[in-house]
Amino acid sequence: MEIPHRVFSALGDPTRLEVLTTLASRGPATATEIAARMPITRQAVAKHLAALDAAGLVSRSPAGREVRYQFDAGPLEDLAQWAADTANTWDRRLQRLRNSVE
Amino acid sequence: MVALILLAMSNEPNGEVAIEREVELMASPEQIWERITDSSMVSEWMGGDVEIEPRPGGRITFSPEAGPDVWGTVEEVVQHERIQWSWRTDEGQPEPIEFELSPAEDGTIVIVRETLLPWRISGPDGFTEWPEASARSYNALNAA
Repeated sequence: MEIPHRVFSALGDPTRLEVLTTLASRGPATATEIAARMPITRQAVAKHLAALDAAGLVSRSPAGREVRYQFDAGPLEDLAQWAADTANTWDRRLQRLRNSVE
Repeated sequence: MVALILLAMSNEPNGEVAIEREVELMASPEQIWERITDSSMVSEWMGGDVEIEPRPGGRITFSPEAGPDVWGTVEEVVQHERIQWSWRTDEGQPEPIEFELSPAEDGTIVIVRETLLPWRISGPDGFTEWPEASARSYNALNAA
């Protein structure tokens, strides 16, 4: 079975993930502001933001000459819902399995 | 929850997210194995009718009490220890399910793992396709 590994493996890039989690935890920011908090250049931050933007994980709004980016949880919320539903389903199944053997 | 998802993805190089459950049951691995691999016994606790052929290449079908039927193929069998299959809905993509049994002091540790591959992010109509945002993610991040 072929396992496609592109999408979320890109979020596995530690630096890109840190850009995203910085936005998620500290609120909207420009590339310049993020670069000031991380040991990478503004250009590198901008590149990561462009990828996150195209992925729908951040939204943009004008901030003078710059662009302010805001974390958008939308694409991840479906995943969170799946995780919760799946965990609950298996908990119920395993409880029934327990009842059948103990 | 979103933070957990981010953490999970950062730890999974293939971009998979797995749900794992572990319980200890007061029964032998042989007893539990039978309840996982015998069609009528699995059907008693899975929440729907299951037909399973517990051998590599064997067929598995599941008609849950709620939701669409899934079907697939058994991929790995180690008697009394481990079984893995992948199943899918008619429209969906394969999803791996794994059971691992290991003897414990008074019974058996049972681990079940269900893996969500990146192509199977749920949409409003179920789990059969990527929502548009995830499709954009795929294209954008793949090109980056």
